[in-house]
Amino acid sequence: MTAPLLCVQALQAGYGEMIVLKEVSLEVYPAEIVALVGSNGAGKTTLLRALSHLLPWQGNVIFDGQSLQDVPTHRLLTRGMVQVPEGRQLFDRMSVEENLLLGTLPDISRPRLQQHLEQCYQLFPVLAERRRQLAGNLSGGEQQMCAVARALMSGPRLVMIDEMSLGLAPVAVDRLLDTLQAIRTQGITVLLVEQDVHAALHVADRAYVLESGHIVRTGSAAALADDPEVQRAYLGL
Amino acid sequence: MLLAQVLLNGVLLGGLYALMAMGLALVWGVLNIVNLAHGAFIMLGAYVTYFLFTKAHLDPFLALPFTALVLFCLGYGLQRGLLNLVIRSPMFNTLLITFGLEVVLTFLAQTAFSADFRTINPDYAGANFELAGLTVPQVQLAAFVVATGLSIGLWAFLLRSRPGRSIRAVSQNLLAAQLQGIEPRRIYALTFGLGTALAGVAGGLYGTVSQINPYIGASLTAKSFVIAIIGGLDNPLGVIVGGIFLGTAELLTALYIGPTYTEVASFGILVLVLLVKPTGLLGRTT
Repeated sequence: MTAPLLCVQALQAGYGEMIVLKEVSLEVYPAEIVALVGSNGAGKTTLLRALSHLLPWQGNVIFDGQSLQDVPTHRLLTRGMVQVPEGRQLFDRMSVEENLLLGTLPDISRPRLQQHLEQCYQLFPVLAERRRQLAGNLSGGEQQMCAVARALMSGPRLVMIDEMSLGLAPVAVDRLLDTLQAIRTQGITVLLVEQDVHAALHVADRAYVLESGHIVRTGSAAALADDPEVQRAYLGL
Repeated sequence: MLLAQVLLNGVLLGGLYALMAMGLALVWGVLNIVNLAHGAFIMLGAYVTYFLFTKAHLDPFLALPFTALVLFCLGYGLQRGLLNLVIRSPMFNTLLITFGLEVVLTFLAQTAFSADFRTINPDYAGANFELAGLTVPQVQLAAFVVATGLSIGLWAFLLRSRPGRSIRAVSQNLLAAQLQGIEPRRIYALTFGLGTALAGVAGGLYGTVSQINPYIGASLTAKSFVIAIIGGLDNPLGVIVGGIFLGTAELLTALYIGPTYTEVASFGILVLVLLVKPTGLLGRTT
């Protein structure tokens, strides 16, 4: 069995006195799509913020065999780990292409940069059409595409996406979910945090259910989708 | 003819004003610090250039790169060691600490350089030439060319280079910048260093066209502040427009109303701009 790409053990994190995540453990294997689902306030976003070291945490986070204990946010990109934050967080007053350029590693060579750009434009042809437009003027779906593309520009091994479907039209969500499948076939691992449990379980291989800061269920996405508890609580069945 | 001459002088003066304000606007826009010590850095730049000219016999214009380097290092160090303490804290804290810095720098300058008036006086200081019936003072013209050249250079740097893009990224979205591998503290120090380097060059040029002493800083901070407001914080070209606007307005006021009213004019313009278009003449309207 291969070693997990990301291994989280007994992670505790929160905001000041308030502990949001209590002893969360999970594993993500190479080229997997893993969904992290749960209701509002369960701690999903907090988990991603902690993994990106935007929050202090206790416990153990191992990425690619190395501890992330002392790795600050801005060094994670060179380690091969990138986050697409909730609400896209584009550089609104820059063009689409400038946003993508900011996604690259600092020491990237020109030909490599061109190659990454072309890959992103192939993945999202609409971004190629809008490359000179200000990112702030794109539609919600296009902005999310731009945010995902920007994250891919560094050639990451793990992409963590927070609330990808939030506020988007269903057709845009489907388009983005297809893209996740496509990048997975290139060997990129995806950790997807979603409120839209239906969409998440549809695209993921495995999933974790987070409730009040604890992992309460885990298993293959298909099994979870058939789980009566999950159906009742999250799928409205 | 007199009007045309005054307008020309105003434009030339405005170029220098623009350069003075540019560093202030850059630091303000990216770090959200209104640097009350900005004028003190201009003053220090003037002295560095002065001593390079008098002691090392370097032409003041050739001394400018050295002045810029000295002031860049000073600014970079001050940001990392001192101003990082107040980054993203309430504006009152930043005003307090930069005001303190201006007092300290002014006092140190007074101790080290004495309160004497000095001028950077190369042998071509008073030279001028005639153009279409107007007198063009050469030093002022050179100062104008350097100032606008640097402004355009800064604009291109912010727009085209990777560090420039990173500076804009940090100012537009700090969270996303961090997630994309940018270390904010380095960008803040780089930006502040650029701001003080620009102030230093402006000081060197100021010393060639005007007298310097340790106390020129405060009024130059005020002028830079007015120009940054007029021009808006988004765009170095806005600062050029603001500088030229203020330069001509001051000289026209001096001509038609009286030299004692120039400050009234500049701060009157400030109030008008804030009332009519608070984002600056070239600023975004949203």
